[in-house]
Amino acid sequence: MLKVKKDKINGLIGEFLKDYLVFAPVKDGSRSKFKKITDPAEISTGTVKSERSPKDVFFPQSEVLFEYDTNGVRISDNEEKPYLLWGVRNCDTKSIRMLDKVFGNAHQAPDKDMYKDPYWKKKYDTSVIFNFACTAPLSTCFCNWFGGGPFDETGSDVFVVETDGDLILKGVSEKGKALLEKLSVTIEAEKKDEELAETAKKKAEEMMSKPTDISNLFEKLSTVWNEPVWQKLAAKCVNCGACAFICPTCHCFDVSDEGKNGRGKRVRLWDSCMFPIFTMEASGHNPRGNSTQRVKQRVMHKFNYFMENYGSHLCTGCGRCIVVCPVNFDIREVIKGILDHKIKEKVQADV
Amino acid sequence: MCNGYLPIQMKVEKILAENPDKTLKTFDLSFVNEKDRDEFSYMPGQFCEFSMLGKGESPFGIASSPTEKDILKFTVNRTGSVTKEIHYLQPGDIVGIRGPLGNWYPVEKFKGADVVIIGGGFAFTTLRSMLVYMLEHRSDYGMITVIYGARNPDLLIYKDELKEWDKRDDLFLHLTIDKSVEGWTKHCGFVPTITKEVAPDPNSWAVVCGPPIMIKFTLPVLKELGFADDKIYTSLERRMKCGIGKCGRCGIGSKYVCIDGPVFSFEELKNIPEAF
Repeated sequence: MLKVKKDKINGLIGEFLKDYLVFAPVKDGSRSKFKKITDPAEISTGTVKSERSPKDVFFPQSEVLFEYDTNGVRISDNEEKPYLLWGVRNCDTKSIRMLDKVFGNAHQAPDKDMYKDPYWKKKYDTSVIFNFACTAPLSTCFCNWFGGGPFDETGSDVFVVETDGDLILKGVSEKGKALLEKLSVTIEAEKKDEELAETAKKKAEEMMSKPTDISNLFEKLSTVWNEPVWQKLAAKCVNCGACAFICPTCHCFDVSDEGKNGRGKRVRLWDSCMFPIFTMEASGHNPRGNSTQRVKQRVMHKFNYFMENYGSHLCTGCGRCIVVCPVNFDIREVIKGILDHKIKEKVQADV
Repeated sequence: MCNGYLPIQMKVEKILAENPDKTLKTFDLSFVNEKDRDEFSYMPGQFCEFSMLGKGESPFGIASSPTEKDILKFTVNRTGSVTKEIHYLQPGDIVGIRGPLGNWYPVEKFKGADVVIIGGGFAFTTLRSMLVYMLEHRSDYGMITVIYGARNPDLLIYKDELKEWDKRDDLFLHLTIDKSVEGWTKHCGFVPTITKEVAPDPNSWAVVCGPPIMIKFTLPVLKELGFADDKIYTSLERRMKCGIGKCGRCGIGSKYVCIDGPVFSFEELKNIPEAF
């Protein structure tokens, strides 16, 4: 393991800024979000995840697909430096890896170029993620339900632990290891540093509440489609969509044209399955016309459909949706509600 | 890098109003660039995103058959803002197309067997594509039966072709309208009822495409006639935006209509409660 002394961190970031576009948590009022930085002084890593996830580094809330005018369409193909993400927490690192499964290709036809999202790949494929350990998890954190933890390094390129202001670095992926070898400001970590890291890990893990066993969740969800439990669980949701926008793994979007007089741009914008208009058809027919159906869709997509298609839950337990929900809709309670639900009688699927 | 979001340019060649109200129009489009034409290879049942720059995109099944060279045909019902814009098009105008998207009717699998095509209203588009394709390869298929219904005679699309098909002796065409009108000599009644009367052989392949309510009531009729779930195919519609499995709005269960479909067998759909 390597180490960067407190007073050398700015120099390290400075080195990165030469070769990379560096994205890091930056204070934006009382909250922090990932932004492109030009000066290490802007960074505000804190002890836990940023209020907004780094999802929008690769998948911005609004992204121009192309510009058009009467002569046709034009895509911008300006070359950018590779992206380096600094201060990402493990829930978000894993989220980004999940999103790559969707945008990187299509599981139905992994080799078909048409299904590879060029806007995502251009940014993602050459990126490096510096995953920071969480030293003070929040009460809403539940990454341990999904096998994660504050010191989980799965998915990282470089894993970082902050101890007394110094940074201990560990290359996890080949890409991360290669990058660390090139750095000039690092020194070998000592035994003492590793002990400090170990103590911090123990302390952080103790702060996490006991995880609920969700090994049965996928199977259970496959059996409860027609159960009344959905009405009960969904009753207080107001379909505002805040959970989907703040979620690091939600990735649905709308495509819209902005412009006038034959000139403009086609953009994609975050969208949410919580909104009635999401599935509304021009005829007025809406296959998911009521709130319960929409809540069910979101839960099923996260904990059943995604598992079927990609082998994991589409949730990393970051808990942001719990924090932002205006009606205290707690996804953990929903999961427990499903797991605890007893099916009274077998109900036929309504094909 | 391949970019699935970029439309290719097409020129409007011909516009045909399918009904007196002109709410249904068929557009014949030709490729502006030769390269696009050479690379565009499709099968009956696939769809495209029809792009009206400044207004947006809407998905439509391709109504032409791959055997009709150099032209793509789309029949569009004027409903929302994009379709309204499409209806304003004039011959010579340039539009955008993305595709071909999705899977197709398994016409290879149908070879050597009888096929029954059941359609309703203006959902006959990709069924026309398949029918024209099969007639072009007529010797590959057994008996072809078509049951096609609309609310009234005006709403049947491809009227000239229906007349031609009706004359053929290698094709059984059953047209129906909901309620009898003067001068109408074909069937009267809803598609499920007529399907029951026609009683196609359950060893045939059945392809059903129409409004959800028609599919819902035709399915039990076919099952009663003895059709197995894996012998019945349908094409689903959702409000697809990206068409390439990303934007998430065409999900039905764990499937995306845009990639896993739009063509599904009932075997695949029977465990997806959201499908209809």
